[in-house]
Amino acid sequence: MWISLELHSVDYQQHATFLKRARGGSSQPHQRAIPHPVGYGVGQLPFAPPTRTPDLTVKRPRIAAVVTEYRRYSHAQHILDRYLFGYSWNGRHHVPDIELVSLYTDQQPDGELSRDRSKMFPRMKIYPTIAEALCRGGEKLDVDGVLLIGEHGNYPTNEKGQRLYPRFEFFQQIVDVFRTSNRSVPVFNDKHLSWNWDWARQMVATARELDFPLLAGSSLPVTRRIPQIDMPLGAGVTEALCVAVGGVDGYDIHALEAMQSMVERRRGGETGVEWFEAARGVDAVVKALAAGSFDQGGWDPRLFRACLCRSHRLVPTREGFNHTLPTNKQIEALMRDPENRNTPVLYRYQHSDGLKMSMLLIEGVVHDFTFAAQLADQPRPLSLQMFLPPREVCNFFNPLTHATEDLFHQGQAPYPIERTLLTTGLTAAGVESLFQKGRRLKTPHLDIHYRPTTRSTYWSN
Amino acid sequence: MTLHKRNRREFLGTTAAATLAGSLIPSVDANAESRSAARAPRTPRKRIAIITTLWAYLRHGQHIGDRFLVGYPWEGDWHDPQVEVVSAFVDQKPTAADRKSREEEYGFPQGDQSVERAREFGFSLYKTIPETLRCGGSKLAVDGVVLIGEHGDYPSNDLGQKLYPRARFFSQIVDVFRSDGRAVPVFNDKHLSYSFEKAQAMVRASRELDFPMLAGSSLPVGFRMPEMEVPYGARIKEALAIAGSRSLDSAGLHALEALQCLVERRRGGESGIRRVQTLTGAKVWKALRDKSWSTDLMARALSRADLVEGITLKDARTQDLAAPGVLESIVPEPQAVLFEYRDGLKATLLMLGGAIGDFTAAVRLDRRNQVLSTKFHLPPNPNVVYSACLAHHIESMIVNNQAPYPVERTLLVSGLLEAAHMSRAQGGRRLKTPRLDVRYKAPHASLYCHT
Repeated sequence: MWISLELHSVDYQQHATFLKRARGGSSQPHQRAIPHPVGYGVGQLPFAPPTRTPDLTVKRPRIAAVVTEYRRYSHAQHILDRYLFGYSWNGRHHVPDIELVSLYTDQQPDGELSRDRSKMFPRMKIYPTIAEALCRGGEKLDVDGVLLIGEHGNYPTNEKGQRLYPRFEFFQQIVDVFRTSNRSVPVFNDKHLSWNWDWARQMVATARELDFPLLAGSSLPVTRRIPQIDMPLGAGVTEALCVAVGGVDGYDIHALEAMQSMVERRRGGETGVEWFEAARGVDAVVKALAAGSFDQGGWDPRLFRACLCRSHRLVPTREGFNHTLPTNKQIEALMRDPENRNTPVLYRYQHSDGLKMSMLLIEGVVHDFTFAAQLADQPRPLSLQMFLPPREVCNFFNPLTHATEDLFHQGQAPYPIERTLLTTGLTAAGVESLFQKGRRLKTPHLDIHYRPTTRSTYWSN
Repeated sequence: MTLHKRNRREFLGTTAAATLAGSLIPSVDANAESRSAARAPRTPRKRIAIITTLWAYLRHGQHIGDRFLVGYPWEGDWHDPQVEVVSAFVDQKPTAADRKSREEEYGFPQGDQSVERAREFGFSLYKTIPETLRCGGSKLAVDGVVLIGEHGDYPSNDLGQKLYPRARFFSQIVDVFRSDGRAVPVFNDKHLSYSFEKAQAMVRASRELDFPMLAGSSLPVGFRMPEMEVPYGARIKEALAIAGSRSLDSAGLHALEALQCLVERRRGGESGIRRVQTLTGAKVWKALRDKSWSTDLMARALSRADLVEGITLKDARTQDLAAPGVLESIVPEPQAVLFEYRDGLKATLLMLGGAIGDFTAAVRLDRRNQVLSTKFHLPPNPNVVYSACLAHHIESMIVNNQAPYPVERTLLVSGLLEAAHMSRAQGGRRLKTPRLDVRYKAPHASLYCHT
């Protein structure tokens, strides 16, 4: 009686079957039966920090946070506030069953929040050095896990335009404590491992040497998706594209890692990347838009179209129209708008198994992250949006925070560090290629092989 | 906002002429390729008339109406509508005050857009609804009617309902059907009418003349976060929806219909509503303390919000909105609509503007006491992609000559909304609603946007 399939006839049916397959892998990611807090500090209403009925039979992991700065909207705030105040998870307000007991903040800008938070949560003590934070003022490592959040803060940039966040330096100080204490605990590193490829590789090597779980990366791979699908495990993928916003050395890592979290599920698993080239500026992107295929210097236009159609924040191209699909000419006009803060950027690279990849940062054309891939046996691209819930609370940090909880509870990274090692290398390659005026770089060092998790790890509950 | 300032300027390649020229761009322009294909000869498209109160930027008339002119995103592609707008009736032009405030908001002149749309897309504007439906001739000359009676300068009644002329417009449409001896599918945006009696008459007419009728909010067919559906035939113990708004008339309708599309799937099908009560202010907090609705369901629904207010606005911290005392301190004008279905199911709508900015819902199933909850996700301005989801179902009805979901859903919710206003106007008196004896079966298919 009820229609809806008729309109799209065969196409729809195929697509529906395909989506069903795509959904097959999207089981609920990493759900643990974590007790829900039952009591609240009634005397301090209405904004009392959540308290728990202590369960003395279970030892809760205690963790340290090592951060660049704890201010409004910094990554440290987003993640640490979730440990302190709790956050929405699986349809409940969830307070981690993990205690944040020590904090090191490298910088304390005006209006920063760490001191205020420490007053509200006296169990979280602030220490002047990383070593002291990890040893909680004692001689030896005295926490069960470390959050390293080296994003935001006033740090210099180098001649290539990379912000020199001290993630590696902090990591070194963390592992120094591990070494002297003869004990290691799980570490989470926010975003890419380091701006410096050699250091990133060293971080992963150290984690292997000292045998501790290391988790890292962006929130994009784990955030909500529209629609709620994953790359079918073992799919034959020939080409993929991500259309996103922002600039080099900040947002490229998000787009690269969003793509990688999808394509790593392809047939044969990850095989590494053979070459990489980057281009900056409207002319370069216009040329690529007109190329018509990856081999001609662009990408498959069907993938680009699919990305634009998955966007919910396409910038209008005509006054008075709220939503149209822009033509290439209109896209060019939008990109040339002098109000755009970021010059458009294009990365193109090829994996060792032949998979063709493009990433396009075109702020001023879209304001969100979309992904499309051509699968070997499908007439239409698989496409979706990686959804970034808006401020104030930026709920895309919910699944990322939960992944760190999994790391600390289970003593095992919920997804492989090799993903972020590879995307760290790709991010650095982007900067390097741009520095060398768009030269195509061979990337034998990105010969990184790994297998993805079988389960989907994006936020679907 | 940068985004809207940009609209003020003239763009290269953004005039109508350049759009046409765009079709000459080689096939690497995926969009131009589609548009040129769209202009190729093919099966004649169904002809539709748009009857609206206002055709102005980001008003329903525009953002739904435009979908049939410029297409819309659907399943990862840009869909070229299988219907063609051939005529339109637009009741009002924006008032001077409205134009002024919206120009400040959007950064470019805000006026009636129907004349320029008609010129660019080649349809005709008429001064009356009958002329519109007959395209200036003597007989009904369209295959479907899209009635969008939302926004515009209309009076409100003592209950606080805005008196949009949907029933009046509908009646004129039906008069044409009667006198011309033919009826075609009609879509009515949002609730059928502020008056349940008028709404009933609308549905009666569609049955009598045997034409498909579709109505309602976009929320039932929009996005859900997470994707979630009530298993068909499930026993439901309790249901609750939250609207992050103070407007019972406007936002309340969306939330009630969102909730209705979940609970109508319950065992036995829809049975109608027998009691309605609307509490306001302190009475809401007393009812909360008295557990007039499940605080657990409320907490679950609140947890789905992505637009969180209260202390979060101070320093972006996360917070448990359901913790004791929080809502009372941040929601200045709470409203609660408590209603009971004829089969005993109890449901609640909470209007919590000041706490969240989303529409969320939670239902408790009988089976293992399982709670399902979700956010009815509304993609932001200016794209408001939820109206693309609605446009898809309107188009589907007109092309297939069959409504994809029952108009009785919207009929029931129209009556519920009116009763909620009546109870509010009577100081929160619990009203018996024998008139809301609306029974229907929900479609099995899950029709929200998840492909």
